[in-house]
Amino acid sequence: MNEAQRAALNAWLGVEIVGASLLSGGAIQQNWALRLADGQDWVLRTDNAATLAVSLPRAAEYALLRAAHAQGVTVPEPLACCEDPSIIGAPFFVMRRVGGTATGFRLAKAAAAQGGDDALVRALGAELARIHRITPPRADLAFMGEPPADAGLAFIAAQRARLDEAGTPRPAVEWGLAALARHAPPPVPPVLNHNDFRTGNLMVEGQAVTAVLDWEFAAWGDPHADLGWFCAPCWRFGNLGLEAGGLGSRAAFLEGYGAGADASRLPFWELAATIRWAVIAADQGARHLSGVERNLELALTAQIIPELEMNILAQVEALDAGTA
Amino acid sequence: MLEQPDARDLLATARAALLAKLLPALPAHLHYEARMIANAMAIAGRASTVDPAPLEARIMNFAEDTAQFAARIRAGAYQPGTPAYTGAATLLREVVRMRCAVTNPRALG
Repeated sequence: MNEAQRAALNAWLGVEIVGASLLSGGAIQQNWALRLADGQDWVLRTDNAATLAVSLPRAAEYALLRAAHAQGVTVPEPLACCEDPSIIGAPFFVMRRVGGTATGFRLAKAAAAQGGDDALVRALGAELARIHRITPPRADLAFMGEPPADAGLAFIAAQRARLDEAGTPRPAVEWGLAALARHAPPPVPPVLNHNDFRTGNLMVEGQAVTAVLDWEFAAWGDPHADLGWFCAPCWRFGNLGLEAGGLGSRAAFLEGYGAGADASRLPFWELAATIRWAVIAADQGARHLSGVERNLELALTAQIIPELEMNILAQVEALDAGTA
Repeated sequence: MLEQPDARDLLATARAALLAKLLPALPAHLHYEARMIANAMAIAGRASTVDPAPLEARIMNFAEDTAQFAARIRAGAYQPGTPAYTGAATLLREVVRMRCAVTNPRALG
């Protein structure tokens, strides 16, 4: 952020920023730590060059943050949103900075050291339940469109379309999608899905959740999609035995979530989670291959697909055998 | 015909130099990039030793090529409890294991 941008930002926000530094993390967005003259710490969030077509614009993410904050979800307090790209070069919003760490491997290591942290995953389950209390229709969230009539079938169709777009035939991923089609559960009333509620996007300090981050994939859907995403093997950061995000037991997580979680729907949505991550990775690889954005990180993200395919085959086997 | 050392050896030797000599001398903000380069070199080195042709030939028992195999799976050609399903599942397992042996052998279990 240069001097002119900072001056424009001061004028627009009506504050005096005395320090601005780029925070680590965020493949899609840039997050800047702002220190104000009066001692407050804020975070400014804006777009990176590599914005995924499927992610929501900043103003939409800000509206979600406001809705979540009003619902009592632990999120950074949203402060202001600017859709005018002329201030710093792209739309942005600012929120209050919260303490804690979101680094997946660090949290997973700390949880494993104590044999799993069921208090933490219980708290995370409760957070997710609060998010799911936001239900359509909502005028302030109209940008999300109509909820799908059947979230499971809509998921299958969307992933197939994205695989076709990415262009590389993927028999193992198709194998997983065919299994989902065979086992699609009947639809349930839609709720707000965070759609990236996983270890790595959750700020934690001690055993307390300090913030649920990264709302840019939120959409109406089946609440079990979020439960499955959190519990999927690919988001356990090496702690395969700690089924809730590599942090604690699935039982504690579901207990924290409370009423409305149907464990029999989880195998479908955990397989869906693995497939979704594989399709995102395929998209990122395709960005590199197509020349849209030649980038080592994108190229390497595609290299995780085979291990996800290993998970998919095992998950399909368990789903078909009824042992998932 | 090609000069020795071969691709695998060159990549392994270059990677060892990157990790042992360059990485410690790099500032911290470049460590992630350097580790990504080392990972890419390891994957490329393993890929150079794998021959996918035999498994590709076996896919021809199911379809004309990988794209058609994928399309047949999507169309529901393989239903659990049928010999075709068992055969396709077995082949997929072998293909995925080979792919994973290149990208991340530790995930093979």
